[in-house]
Amino acid sequence: MSTRIIAKLDVKPPYVVKPVHFEGLRKVGLPNEIAAKYYQQGADEIFYIDIVASLYQRKILLDQVEQACSDIFVPFAVGGGVQTLHDFSELFHHGADKVVINTHALQINPNIIDEAAKCFGSQAVVVNIESKRWDNWSECYSDCGRIRSGKNVLDWAKEVESRGAGEILLQSVDHDGRQRGFDLELAQKVVSLVNIPVVVASGAGKPDDVLDLIKIAQPSGVAIASLLHYDKSTIKELKEYLRTNGVEVAL
Amino acid sequence: MSNLVGIVNYGTAGNIYSVSKALQKAGAEVVVINTPEDFRKVPRIVLPGVGSFKEGMAELESDGFIDSIQAFEGPILGICLGMQILSSLGYEHGQTKGLNLIKAEVKLMQCNGKLPHVGFNKVDVIKESPLFKNIENELFYFMHSYEVIGFHDVLATATYLEHMFVSSVSKENIYGVQFHPEKSRKAGIKLFENFLEIN
Repeated sequence: MSTRIIAKLDVKPPYVVKPVHFEGLRKVGLPNEIAAKYYQQGADEIFYIDIVASLYQRKILLDQVEQACSDIFVPFAVGGGVQTLHDFSELFHHGADKVVINTHALQINPNIIDEAAKCFGSQAVVVNIESKRWDNWSECYSDCGRIRSGKNVLDWAKEVESRGAGEILLQSVDHDGRQRGFDLELAQKVVSLVNIPVVVASGAGKPDDVLDLIKIAQPSGVAIASLLHYDKSTIKELKEYLRTNGVEVAL
Repeated sequence: MSNLVGIVNYGTAGNIYSVSKALQKAGAEVVVINTPEDFRKVPRIVLPGVGSFKEGMAELESDGFIDSIQAFEGPILGICLGMQILSSLGYEHGQTKGLNLIKAEVKLMQCNGKLPHVGFNKVDVIKESPLFKNIENELFYFMHSYEVIGFHDVLATATYLEHMFVSSVSKENIYGVQFHPEKSRKAGIKLFENFLEIN
């Protein structure tokens, strides 16, 4: 089975931005242009996260979502400010294949995971975990890495699996945007703990970082942002590099 | 020849948007089927699918679509859940009768590993068919936990974690694919083009 190489777009409408530690935003471009570019390069999926929707307490902007996926023919996962089954439904009708949820499920109503899985199927429900490392544990954060939850990442990962989530997007507040490698230890723990696919994000600064992650943690997918945004590598180059080093990828 | 295709709209989760977009890319004129009468307007239909076997069948029933699909004489293409419900019986959330157009049952994938099976995977075509014309050794996108069991009308297989399973079926005017052509880059568009050429 090939490891999925996923392009992650953090969107602060109307732009794709690149935060560092989830803050200090830089503009990268317009979502439809960036999504089309990474699709052409061979991305296996595109993740589109409206990173300020929850923080600003507004709904995700559906027109933007629809525009962003107009030229891509790979799976498109969308998240940001999702609170109700109606939100899920609206996103599916505007081009999302999977919906990504964090804040509302983590802080207010975890039952939304069960309900969404029952209604739309587990495969369509992705739980985003924003992890922050403390001395000997990792904590789940929400609202784009700003609000604590007190929940242990490992407990929450297990819980969302049992509630019916079909996939986990594991991000790291500490590693995000620093381009110095992934939180390998946590990635390895989460991947081996749950029996659903885990996509690991936050940390790729060079192709070797991605290779290390795949070799050590064996996630189902790797989500990449900075590495692509700064044109340090294209998805095609990255995949070729991974294949050369013995990783099965869809080329 | 008409390039009209009807997409059966059932359930709250249908990924009609993605399927329409890809069919249009393949040159189709898409009609969304919302009532049993709409089936008469199109020469071929696509049954998309996201969600569970049980909910999918319940939706088809409440929309009054079951008879229309079973009686449809033109080409039918079921995608993912849309292929699974072509079968006689499903075992997702209890036993549910399917459309009974393909002699098969649908069960949880029999593999030792993570489910759902998600990602691009090679499709091995084992029987010649217009659906796979000029498609060889291509990767298609899968996203499923259940599989069709019953090897009567198999067009193609695929393998996940050493477990071989049915990835495409066909019988007379009926076709089904477990993967998502609408999410499978150019190979998926090509498959849709092929489907539009089947009469």
